[in-house]
Amino acid sequence: MQPYLLSFLIFTPLAAALAAVFIPAGAVKTFRWLALAVSVLQVFVLVQLLATYHAGGLQHVEQQPWIVLSLGSWGVFRAEYFVGVDGLSMPLVALSVFVLLIATIASWQTTRQAKGYYILLLILNAAIIGSFVALDFLLFYLFFEFMLLPMFFLIAIWGGPRREYASIKFFLYTLLGSILILIVMIGLYISVHDPSSPGGLVHTFNLLHMADPSNIVSHAILDPHNVWRLGPLDARQWAFLLLFLGFAIKLPMVPLHTWLPDAHVEAPTPMSVLLAALLLKIGGYGLARIAMPIFPDAALYFSSFVAIMGVISIVYGSFNAMASKDLKRLIAYSSVAHMGFVLLGLAAVTPEGVNGAVYQMFSHGIISAMLFLVAGVVYDRTHDRTIAHYSGLSSRMPAYTAMVLVAFFASLGLPGFSGFIAEILVFLGAFKSASTNGLLHESLAIIATSGLVFGAAYYLWTLQRMFFGPFDLKGGIQPTQITDLTVREYIQLVPLALAALAFGVWPQPVLDIIDPFAQQFCEHVLTVGKSVTFKP
Amino acid sequence: MSKEVIINNPDTLADSEYFLGCLLLVVGLPLLSALLCRLFPARRQNVITTLSSLLLLTGLAAAANMLRMVYDTHVVLKFPWFHLGDLSFSTGFFVDRTSALMAVLVLFVSFLVHIYSTRYMKDDGALSRYYAMLGFFTFSMLGIVLTIDLLTMFVFWELVGFSSYMLIGHWQHLPSAATAARKAFVMNRIGDVGFIVGLMIYWVQSGSFDIYLLTFIDGNNPEFISDYSQGLQTAGALCLFCGVIGKSAQFPLFTWLPDAMEGPTPVSALIHAATMVAAGVFMLVRLHALFTPASLDVVALTGVVTALLAALAALAQTDLKKILAYSTISQLGFMVMAVGAGAPDAAYLHLFTHAFFKACLFLCAGSVIHALHEAQHGTHAHFDVQDVRNLGGLRHKLPFTFAAFVVSGAALAGLPFFSGFLSKDAILTALLYWKGETFSWRWLVFGGAFLVSFLTALYTFRLIAKVFLGEERETTSLTVHEPSWHMRGPIALLALGSFWFFVSWNPLNYHGWLYQPAKADENFHSALLVFISGAWVLIAGAVAYYIFRQPRTAHVPLLLNSFYIDKLYTQTVATRTYALALLTEKIDRRWIDGFLHYVAYGQVTLAHLTGWFDRVIIDGTVNALAALVRTVGSFTRSFQGGKIQLYIFWSVLAIIIFLIWTLF
Repeated sequence: MQPYLLSFLIFTPLAAALAAVFIPAGAVKTFRWLALAVSVLQVFVLVQLLATYHAGGLQHVEQQPWIVLSLGSWGVFRAEYFVGVDGLSMPLVALSVFVLLIATIASWQTTRQAKGYYILLLILNAAIIGSFVALDFLLFYLFFEFMLLPMFFLIAIWGGPRREYASIKFFLYTLLGSILILIVMIGLYISVHDPSSPGGLVHTFNLLHMADPSNIVSHAILDPHNVWRLGPLDARQWAFLLLFLGFAIKLPMVPLHTWLPDAHVEAPTPMSVLLAALLLKIGGYGLARIAMPIFPDAALYFSSFVAIMGVISIVYGSFNAMASKDLKRLIAYSSVAHMGFVLLGLAAVTPEGVNGAVYQMFSHGIISAMLFLVAGVVYDRTHDRTIAHYSGLSSRMPAYTAMVLVAFFASLGLPGFSGFIAEILVFLGAFKSASTNGLLHESLAIIATSGLVFGAAYYLWTLQRMFFGPFDLKGGIQPTQITDLTVREYIQLVPLALAALAFGVWPQPVLDIIDPFAQQFCEHVLTVGKSVTFKP
Repeated sequence: MSKEVIINNPDTLADSEYFLGCLLLVVGLPLLSALLCRLFPARRQNVITTLSSLLLLTGLAAAANMLRMVYDTHVVLKFPWFHLGDLSFSTGFFVDRTSALMAVLVLFVSFLVHIYSTRYMKDDGALSRYYAMLGFFTFSMLGIVLTIDLLTMFVFWELVGFSSYMLIGHWQHLPSAATAARKAFVMNRIGDVGFIVGLMIYWVQSGSFDIYLLTFIDGNNPEFISDYSQGLQTAGALCLFCGVIGKSAQFPLFTWLPDAMEGPTPVSALIHAATMVAAGVFMLVRLHALFTPASLDVVALTGVVTALLAALAALAQTDLKKILAYSTISQLGFMVMAVGAGAPDAAYLHLFTHAFFKACLFLCAGSVIHALHEAQHGTHAHFDVQDVRNLGGLRHKLPFTFAAFVVSGAALAGLPFFSGFLSKDAILTALLYWKGETFSWRWLVFGGAFLVSFLTALYTFRLIAKVFLGEERETTSLTVHEPSWHMRGPIALLALGSFWFFVSWNPLNYHGWLYQPAKADENFHSALLVFISGAWVLIAGAVAYYIFRQPRTAHVPLLLNSFYIDKLYTQTVATRTYALALLTEKIDRRWIDGFLHYVAYGQVTLAHLTGWFDRVIIDGTVNALAALVRTVGSFTRSFQGGKIQLYIFWSVLAIIIFLIWTLF
């Protein structure tokens, strides 16, 4: 049983989705309980997975041939079902299972076209976990694309008033990113051969083989010796840039971020949660798993660029959050700002920075899930998220106000919550980069700290406007609509609050998992990146 | 988690379970109080107030015991917090006389505030939150005081900011309270960003945040400081000082403290005496060894500017609590100045004495406000009880409060026989030596300090005169009662602490158990400076009496608005920032999304064009070809109509054409 834990995680929701097809559409309760059962089952599997996980390299590996096609003189086309977890994916898989469970509970009140909703949710579930564990580029790409479609329909059918615009924008943006990734994937496929297959040229999608420059076929397009240049960059730099842009759209990075606020504002609450907590992480994950290790030379070449884009995201996202008049939009922009820390940390290529970046992905998953749930609470009651329409909610919703306080303070990086650990590590790592590997200038980390001030400003201003002062409602909201948290909302919010607190006070268990990856990542990118750059 | 204990004293105090128990009680009880208070609903107020006060009292006893044990030694306890590979982030305790005494002070003031609040906050709807935050505030401050690690200090530093946010904004229905709370937190955050940059610099330079290692090895740190460049050391120290500027309300970030008056008055006492603004000065004292001469000059200048501006502003305020707030800022500037002059011990002494008399002043002010509010209750009088222009002559109605206010006010003004005189004297002496023999800008700082002490006497006298002396104004018709013992007890204790004997037995000499300066020349000091500063304050008192004996109100807008610095922030910086935020939103909407929409429109237009091309050109060509073929076909088909006459006609026609062709 144990070796197949990851497959079990991926295929349980798929099997459930298949089963759901045969359940009559009217049985709303059945779909709910089915989805919940799948999530709870995944939690048990996750516990088993964590119990058998030991800090270190890749484990729980499953490797099976998937597609093998002999192409005659063109070699052999081979893709594998190759999954495993390491320090990068383990925290994200754990986060996914946890957040998916909460999103399933948050979906409880979805009764409109429940069959379609839950089938899509289950497919999304499988695709998210699949993309975090896939180690074969084609398999990753498959899961990556499979995430896109359910999310598109979930926003387009169950979303808010401008859902069509938002869903199409989301779809087109992400599709553009996918195409950029696809181009590089093909380029890599024809440039890399499988060293373990003796005789004959066997191309491979294996991400681990791709990261080793000795597996590159000489005179292939992505061979470091290739003299082909387009404009100022060579092929490998272009390839990195395309991958980077593809993942940066997903992250999202300024200025490729404008799909995010629209998608969040229109998406139903559980989908906002999944989008912010998990789907954005694929961007950072892709950078750390694919773009930077496979093209370490280009990663070093572009590190300042990546970090500057991260800092711009932090500052620009914060400013935009300050100007937002819609609560969900504000939170969406704060996500843009927080994901900027991931870019900054990864670009630093220091143990602190990379640990901080991965920790930020993990922590932001918890905190942003909580933020969007909190925004959903008020939207469920009034169908209005305009900040200016509320005032003095603390007198009518004390428990809700307490939860909002926790979520906002966690997000603005108050020590004691997980976000602080992540951000301080990113700051230390980015600042240290100048003196250890010389990649980033110190000023980048210093400018990034201003995000802390802006974060405090927009969150506390929102608290002041919506929750403090005399109780008052505008925009036709009735005071009777304002009721405090229900039990189900407590069930969703309290675990997230406790998790944010626990991982802020005691980060070691997660860092123990991340750190081997971060160390190995830094060493790989720095040594290989420097050795590969022998340009003619 | 394994415990890594470093024992720096042969008595193995760090191994003593008794000592560790005390330490645990000191840190744990306020936190426990915070957690327990949250469990009870606000209507169980007796349970909440009694329980939390008892917990704090126990904590105070433990702290006093701890102080006794570490009085001549120090204990370093280090625990790993988290680590990345071999980079470790540890935490732990560094208990020496400085920190243990501070812990006693914090718990003492906090305990008194707990007692005082039982009446002041009686029947408050959110009493459990209030008491929980008081406990948490105390806990956070103790964290700053007792920690050994800069990063841990930063953690608690921010938690202090959070607690003050909650307490300043305690009355959530008041918009002004919410504004003040936000302002306090954001201003503190600005300073904290500097602190973080300082952390980065020390991390890169030394790979350690251990305060003990960074500062304590007899001033010269072979291991850590030696390979610092002087510039980086200065930069690091100044970045840490940014945190102090925010937390201790120094120029230019001091504007949050006067606004923080929106919180309940006992909270103000706590903030001003022990738990919040004291943190900055304490940190300066603690990390003094990290400061280079250049950075100390900046510290001294900041201190004198703050002290002067705030003292001037205090002269013109009309709000009872705001006068006290500006006085706190001014006194903090005084302490910071002392640190800048290389006399952290003198600053610490002043921090200690200031805690007593300032807490006392605030609690007295709270008594006045509370008593007048109660007196107003049920009458038609609804004047602002905090506005000193409405007050006067209260010495008859509130004799106890008056007495305590005069005692603590005298300490603030620095009259002989009061604690403030001694600590102020210590600072002035330090400045005297620091300024040097030849004239330099340091003489101006020294002169500024003297001016501040003059102004302090002036505004203190004005405050007492406005509130307690002269004729009663709006309060004439009210029946005012002194508050109950819950509020008078703490005031009495603090007033007692404002006398000289807490510092030293000799009322004119600051040498005592708290302060043993290394370099101050005793003879010179006692002969000259005591005389001068004593006379100086008396002159100030005379001037104040001359100015303020009539009940007139000088209206100086510049001072009332504290040099318009706050206006500058709210009207310039804040609005500009918001304008910038709106600009980014516009960029998003108009440029980025606008660009996308144009691309989309372009795409759709192109699609229409290609559609038109398909329809008109390609399909048109195909259709035209088809039509041509059809025309030709139908034309040729018409040859084969199936009628014999037609065939004959075509045959004849063909023959005729053929004949014409061949014959001509």
